[in-house]
Amino acid sequence: MNHDVDILLVEDNASDAEMTILALKKSNLANKLLHVKDGAAALDFIFAEGEFTGRKIEDKPRVILLDLKMPKVNGIEVLQKIRTDERTKRIPVVVLTSSKEDPDIHKCYELGVNSYVVKPVEFDEFQKAISNLGLYWMIVNQPPQ
Amino acid sequence: MMDLINKSNNLVITDKELAGKNNEKEEYLAHLASIVECSDDAIISKSLDGIIKSWNKGSEKMFGYNAEEVIGKHISLIIPIEYINEETKILERIRNNEIIDHYETARNKKNGKQFYVSITVSPLKDSAGCIIGASNITRDITSRKNSEAELIHANKELAFQNKEKEKRAEELIIANKELAFQNEEKEKRAEELIIANKELAFQNEEKEKRAEELTIANKELAFQNEEKEKRAEELIIANKELAFQNEEKEKRAEELIIANKELAFQNEEKEKRAEELIIANEELAFQNEEKEKRASELVIANEDLKMAEEQLKTANEELESFSYSVSHDLRAPLRAINGYTQMFKEKYETQLDVEADRLMNNILKNAKRMGELIDDLLTFSRIGRRELVKVDVRMNELVTGLCSELKNELGDRTIDFHISPLPPAQADNIAIKQVWVNLLSNAVKYSSIKETAIIEIGSEIKDNEIIYYIKDNGAGFDMRYADKLFGVFQRLHSNEEFEGTGVGLALVHRIISKHGGRVWGEGKVNEGATFYFTLNK
Repeated sequence: MNHDVDILLVEDNASDAEMTILALKKSNLANKLLHVKDGAAALDFIFAEGEFTGRKIEDKPRVILLDLKMPKVNGIEVLQKIRTDERTKRIPVVVLTSSKEDPDIHKCYELGVNSYVVKPVEFDEFQKAISNLGLYWMIVNQPPQ
Repeated sequence: MMDLINKSNNLVITDKELAGKNNEKEEYLAHLASIVECSDDAIISKSLDGIIKSWNKGSEKMFGYNAEEVIGKHISLIIPIEYINEETKILERIRNNEIIDHYETARNKKNGKQFYVSITVSPLKDSAGCIIGASNITRDITSRKNSEAELIHANKELAFQNKEKEKRAEELIIANKELAFQNEEKEKRAEELIIANKELAFQNEEKEKRAEELTIANKELAFQNEEKEKRAEELIIANKELAFQNEEKEKRAEELIIANKELAFQNEEKEKRAEELIIANEELAFQNEEKEKRASELVIANEDLKMAEEQLKTANEELESFSYSVSHDLRAPLRAINGYTQMFKEKYETQLDVEADRLMNNILKNAKRMGELIDDLLTFSRIGRRELVKVDVRMNELVTGLCSELKNELGDRTIDFHISPLPPAQADNIAIKQVWVNLLSNAVKYSSIKETAIIEIGSEIKDNEIIYYIKDNGAGFDMRYADKLFGVFQRLHSNEEFEGTGVGLALVHRIISKHGGRVWGEGKVNEGATFYFTLNK
């Protein structure tokens, strides 16, 4: 499959985004990565609306890395929208969050999240986690046809 | 007896009158001798110097000496030493032609026994009328003396007993109304005794009369003596009877006194109890008032409390969401600090000198520590929000399991665990496990300064709760700062001495408090610490 975007990174925190991208780059996984800074932009991309009008919805990313706490539209809302739309509900979504204490973890699983990852504070571990994540979803996992 | 003496005096006079008539005189003398010989009284004649001249059968019987043994001997043979002077005086009076009539004194028997006698001593004259000696008529009055002595004694005894009885009667009158009736009884009885005494006095008089009558005739006397003895015996029996009755009465009086004392004691007890009850009632009334006051105070306090509780609840909720979001949101910048520092180090590694490298490492170290603090704070916050599920926690298995897990992680350290059997308690399994983990890892951590660490775990059941304790021989702490043990982020040791965030004991405190238990610590610097917590059975 030829995708414009393999990884959609939805992250409002510029530092987290930069470090995530750096980590993926180190594993050569960041070639087709798109970074959007909030949930609204993410939905625009996924449903080819707003600035992404004209994009084909069928050109689905191989994985969406989704932060939960974001301004305007938060991660839960994004997840909900993706899962309730027949066209998008099979897209693998990995939730990245700062804390395992997040009260939304349960809700995420109910909404059919594929993975729920706590971002480690330590950089080495963070890099390892993101790298493993990228490798898994990009290479190991077989996406639905 | 008087009559008899008179008779013998008459005989002497008659003797004078009949001096001339020999035949008649001989006959008369023989007759007289026969009377003397046959008399039960001891009739002894003696010279003026006291030598015994004649000794009749009565004397032999009375003194135990034969006539042959005593005739020619001095009369002092039968006189007790203390009465010898009397004899001298008697002989003096005889010389003066006096008759000593019914003189009561004492004499000795041959066997040495002293006895009471009544003697009548008359001068003996020759035909010329010169006094040549004396005749002694001696009568044994021992039995009479004894009877008299007994009677006097009995009367004194009765008099004494009467006085005693009156005293007691007076005491009893004062003692109790209840006793009044019985006192009357006793007075009656006392009166009866007075009558009995009068009767006895009367009988004594009678006896005296009779004694006088007894002197009238010899034979009559013997009979009457017997009668008297019999009556004396009867009187002794009667006296004994009276004495017995007195004793009985005394016993009853004593019993009544005891009964009175008992009643008095019971009355006192009842009064005491009544007083106690009055005091107790007053106390209760006071307490009721106090309780009412307190109840109204409590109503006000409750309202205040409700408000405070609501405020507290709101504050707690706010605090929890605050601490959660703080810890949550703190992680992102921390991750950034970590990440950029690391990135910086990687990118400019070759250009950094040793000092720059040290500074970078310090940034990373602190960021890491902050991460730990946040993690602990999160755990603390989570436990606070968690609902407890109380089950029967098998403390023994839980603790021994944790200890053996700990042992595996010890490496080359030696720790002696002494675990006494621990009773189960009602608690939340997960939370209590956290408590033991924190306390055990503290004990292990702070005892690392000792070559051989000793950790002792035990319990004590007190009333409805169980006190668990864990004791180590480690660094201990200064009791002055004991109040800071359980505060969040409060530490009594620096991070260089012992690593830690200061959340472990705060967490223990929070969990035990949520269980309704108490937790406290005791310690001494460099000697070790003991932590106690309580749970319900």
